[in-house]
Amino acid sequence: MDGSLASSDPGPSFAKPPGSSGDSGPCASRSSGPGPEVEVRALVSMAGGLYPLARAEALRGLAAVVEKVGTSGGAVECCYGCAVELLRDEDQSIRLAAVRLIGLCAEKFAGREEVSGIGNGDQMDLIFLQLSSTARDMCMQVRIEAFNGLAKMQRVSEGVLLQSLSKKVIRTDTGSGSICKANKLPPKLIFPCAAGIFAHGIEDEFYQVRIAACKTLGALAKFSGQYAQKALDLLMDMMNDDTEAVRLQTLQTLFNMATYGYLSVQEKHMHMFLATLIDANAIVRNAARKILGLVNLPKLQMFRSALDGLITSLEKNPEEQDIYSILFSIGKNHGSFSANVAKHLAKEISTAPNGELILDKHRIQALLIVSISAPVSADKHKKLDIPSVIFSHAIPLLGRISSALGEDIIKDLSYLCHPSGMPFAEKGLMSGEGGRSEFWSVETMRGTHALIEKTRKETNCSDEVLIMGSMRLMLETVEETWAMRESCGIEEIRTILRTCKEEVKLIQLENSYAIGPTSLDILLEKLDTYVRRMKCCYTGLNRELEVQVLELVLLANLFRLSKFGVCSKLMLDKLHWIINQLDGLCADGSCEFSDFSNTVKQTFDANVIDGTLVVDICNFLKIFRLKPAKDFGMLNAASAVLQVLGNNSENPLPYICGLPVGVSFDISLSNISGHDRIWIRMNSGQSIQHAFLELSCFEGNDEVKSCSTVIPFYATPLACSFVLRVCLVIECPSGSICTHYEEHGGPRDSVVQLCDELNVYLVSTDTECKN
Amino acid sequence: MAIECLVLGAGQEVGKSCVVVTIGGKRIMFDCGMHMGYHDCNRYPDFARILAAAPETTDFTSAISCVIITHFHLDHIGALPYFTEVCGYHGPIYMTYPTKALAPLMLEDYRKVMVDQRGEEEQYSYEDILRCMKKVIPVDLKQTIQVNRDLVIRAYYAGHVLGAAMVYAKVGDAAMVYTGDYNMTPDRHLGAAQIERLKLDLLITESTYAKTIRDSKHAREREFLKAVHKCVSEGGKVLIPTFALGRAQELCILLDDYWERMNLKIPIYFSAGLTIQANMYYKMLIGWTSQKIKDSYTVQNPFDFKHVCHFERSFINDPGPCVLFATPGMISGGFSLEVFKRWATSDKNLVTLPGYCVAGTIGHKLMSGKPTRIDIDKDTHVDVRCQIHQLSFSPHTDSKGIMDLTEFLSPNHVILVHGEKPQMAFLKDRIESELGMSCYYPANNETVSIPTTQNMKISATEKFITNCAALQARDSLQKSDLISSIHLSGVNEDERLAEGILLMEKSKAPKILCEDEFLKLLGTDRHSVQFEPLLPSRIEEAEAAIVDDLTSE
Repeated sequence: MDGSLASSDPGPSFAKPPGSSGDSGPCASRSSGPGPEVEVRALVSMAGGLYPLARAEALRGLAAVVEKVGTSGGAVECCYGCAVELLRDEDQSIRLAAVRLIGLCAEKFAGREEVSGIGNGDQMDLIFLQLSSTARDMCMQVRIEAFNGLAKMQRVSEGVLLQSLSKKVIRTDTGSGSICKANKLPPKLIFPCAAGIFAHGIEDEFYQVRIAACKTLGALAKFSGQYAQKALDLLMDMMNDDTEAVRLQTLQTLFNMATYGYLSVQEKHMHMFLATLIDANAIVRNAARKILGLVNLPKLQMFRSALDGLITSLEKNPEEQDIYSILFSIGKNHGSFSANVAKHLAKEISTAPNGELILDKHRIQALLIVSISAPVSADKHKKLDIPSVIFSHAIPLLGRISSALGEDIIKDLSYLCHPSGMPFAEKGLMSGEGGRSEFWSVETMRGTHALIEKTRKETNCSDEVLIMGSMRLMLETVEETWAMRESCGIEEIRTILRTCKEEVKLIQLENSYAIGPTSLDILLEKLDTYVRRMKCCYTGLNRELEVQVLELVLLANLFRLSKFGVCSKLMLDKLHWIINQLDGLCADGSCEFSDFSNTVKQTFDANVIDGTLVVDICNFLKIFRLKPAKDFGMLNAASAVLQVLGNNSENPLPYICGLPVGVSFDISLSNISGHDRIWIRMNSGQSIQHAFLELSCFEGNDEVKSCSTVIPFYATPLACSFVLRVCLVIECPSGSICTHYEEHGGPRDSVVQLCDELNVYLVSTDTECKN
Repeated sequence: MAIECLVLGAGQEVGKSCVVVTIGGKRIMFDCGMHMGYHDCNRYPDFARILAAAPETTDFTSAISCVIITHFHLDHIGALPYFTEVCGYHGPIYMTYPTKALAPLMLEDYRKVMVDQRGEEEQYSYEDILRCMKKVIPVDLKQTIQVNRDLVIRAYYAGHVLGAAMVYAKVGDAAMVYTGDYNMTPDRHLGAAQIERLKLDLLITESTYAKTIRDSKHAREREFLKAVHKCVSEGGKVLIPTFALGRAQELCILLDDYWERMNLKIPIYFSAGLTIQANMYYKMLIGWTSQKIKDSYTVQNPFDFKHVCHFERSFINDPGPCVLFATPGMISGGFSLEVFKRWATSDKNLVTLPGYCVAGTIGHKLMSGKPTRIDIDKDTHVDVRCQIHQLSFSPHTDSKGIMDLTEFLSPNHVILVHGEKPQMAFLKDRIESELGMSCYYPANNETVSIPTTQNMKISATEKFITNCAALQARDSLQKSDLISSIHLSGVNEDERLAEGILLMEKSKAPKILCEDEFLKLLGTDRHSVQFEPLLPSRIEEAEAAIVDDLTSE
């Protein structure tokens, strides 16, 4: 039979099944000199020896020779023949060495085929079957080595490959069948020894074997599409493996298959992918995402379920920002699907009650990213209409996907901003080129301008009034201080008087335009803040305390009134509102009006003429007596914790100069009731931005609410990096009386800070900017 | 010499495994099981036949060299107390450590069921079991035991259940392996069977799944977990009726692992009794479990289930989802029946059944079709609305595994036991055609005789050895010529032949000698006969053949 093999093939040399005596084959070893031949001869004769250790060592020696010699030469054939003979040895170390040697020989044969361009498919199939027959060995190392050897195989026929996946013997006329017919195999190999080696391999007791089997499954995928598809089923099962190392190897294999394009995911595989997306292990999740970023999903349904999986993953692990990049690349890979998503999203946005709040949800962010990826997808030639509303919403998120965009970021940005109709981006870029450092969004600029204009006007109007008022106030303060001498120490009074004196000087020296905050102002402001805090930041006040706090508020306002001397309509309204509230509290008689509030009330009821109050405020102050409260009950202080996960000066958030940046905050509020109005105040340099927090988005009870939300900061400066100072403030209700500028988009009422200011570090992704 | 193999049980059936093998005059009994399907004398193997086959003796102790029990299942050990205490066998009994530890549990449990519930006559008492277990000699895996002067036995890991073993026995040159029940694919808590490549005359293998090729266990596990997860996430309760040993631990590891990965907080309960005790044994016998468990137990013993809590009877009516393991496995009574009666009425709940249920049990009724009403006895019935999931985790190897093992061991003969006749016939054909081994599947009480190879020690004379050495030296000289002509093809075909004469004389050791020596021994001269070769041939044919040869070259 050897002769027929030799004669039928013009290849230079062939494997000789053991025991055959054919020597007709031309052994092309002329090039390699006598060295290896002597070695091979000696080692082969040793390999036939009596002692197992010597046999094993001889095989290892042969392996060393094979590695050394070139692909041509008869030495490889000799070694191969010797290894095949010892493949079924009783000693496992010999089997191990034999399998390893066959693997090496197979590599050499494959290399030779590549050089000569003449394939010998049957020989490769034969070696594949021989290695397969050892993949069910009882010894773990032999199994591992067998799988490692199989991974190196080249040009294996499809029939043999398919048989290796299925435990059931496939009876076909192709592939292994042809080998059986050709009758070239020793009888043991006619038995379909490749059957189901992978099915067994992935269930092996030893995870090392499972890992090897998994690698091999992936490595062989390049030879046959049908095989790759069936191998995927097995790999999917392996994702449920109880050893983490195997799960990771599986994902690695899938990733490799996806990279080379042999991975075609079907619907039945989706749930397994989705399960790994929410795996408890971050590395597994990361690997699963990477694969998803590469695969091609044939159906919209699958695409959507992949998105849902990623969104769930994002919700569970909001710190894993690379999900956004993956979302972008998935979207890019499936242009028309993304366009579909974009369409639905646009509808959702337009029907949403408040367009701004929508950004808080991870789902919306994720869908936005997917939507904007559509135009850069490969399906570009198709007309993909992405509604412009999408772009305007997506811009704050750009920083996160900048890594996915890579160098093309500017180009991508230009496409993003054109359809969005947002003016600032282009300007921003232009000014960036010009190198000017002043860089604000037009919107913000416009706002700031308006603000300045308005302030100026108002200042002008109130100038005179203020100066007059201040002067008067000084005098009054002096008077007041006189009145206070009864209760306060002389030292304090002296201080107040001195302050007054300095202030008068100040007013004289500078003109009214430059009125700085006086110490009295500061004191008043401080008092105001404290009283406000008492009023707003504590829940569970009993009726008595509430009345007292309100009285304090009243007192503070009266102080302020006494400071300015004039009674604006606003002030009066405010006072009225407080008195009404007091009234309301005491209406049922559970509390008594104090003398002080009674007097104030009566005075107000009687003396308001045309919105001005003509009364000596000092009188009120005189009769105010603070009753020390005895019973405080259960006081709950409202407080808040504001965090930005994973952000510090070492790990800044990425942003693109001039474009809004979304910052995701973790907020937890304690003792905030549902009708409180909470704002988040962000300021950087001179720009202050307020964002309202919708408490309904928070999870939790009245005691502790928490939420993680993304808030865009619009006015990013054109700088390499900047620090955003953020804090949470609570609005103090004062009826419908407006004390602040509503146009600014901030809180209407005065506010109290709920937490310390938090620094958020941001760094530009724009390299140009850095230069 | 031959191996006589008398099949007393599990011949063309499953149950009462018992094979008595005689090798070189040594008689070994492999397994001593009882048949669960019979309640008469057919329950036990017909031990009398052993004595019939051994005419030289009248008692079991002298007839049998040793009894070897492969694992603790009743169909492999159930008749042992009867055989030792009632039939009066007092020889050595071998079993692995876990089998010795767990066997009394199984035997006593069954004895109680038999006597207390069915009211049958007691075949052996609890004291009998204890006395019987005292005679047992525990063995470890791969420990070679010299039973007597000739007989050597060795146990190998078989998977299947904790402590299951395959047994290698050797008398002189004749060697055999009895597999017992084994599993070639590992499961969560047990490894796959593991054995060395041995030179065997006979392999006696189980063949429960002689024809079935099972697909990967992953799919079944996935289905099971999906069903359970779906049920509990919708607020239902899951009842898993199991036997205390093996399957309960397997499923529990699976669920515990899944709970950990999915971060589920729903309680998993183990009903009291045997299972708790069994878990304790599993924890102690870590060395006999799978590699994964062996690797991880130093950090955390996998049988210390994180999510498993103890079940109180009062929990039955508690609201909210849970998973409960309860014995017995086929809902034939006891606690699992009690729970089933309560839980089966809600369509939110789930009952998972084992792959095989004995006819007549509730498990069997549930498996056959989807009944809506099950009568438990004359007065009580249960409206079955719950979901039913069937789960076939079998610890037996499939057809592929049997073939793999047989191919790996490459014995000269194979005997199939512990299977059903038609399937065994199918497997026999496969083994004979694909592996080229002779194969038998005797019925109960049949005997198969198998010839064995026999090696002979032969001494050689000094001259013969010198002659051989000289011949070899000449060979290698020729070879060196080949090397100089750079020809490697002959390397693999080193067949060193030496000629000699084998001399076997009465009462003398056989020896091999040279021609010359032989002549000297006989005291005669050499005669030589010469032949003249005369070959009838037709020239035309020969020519044609030569031409053919040339063209093919």
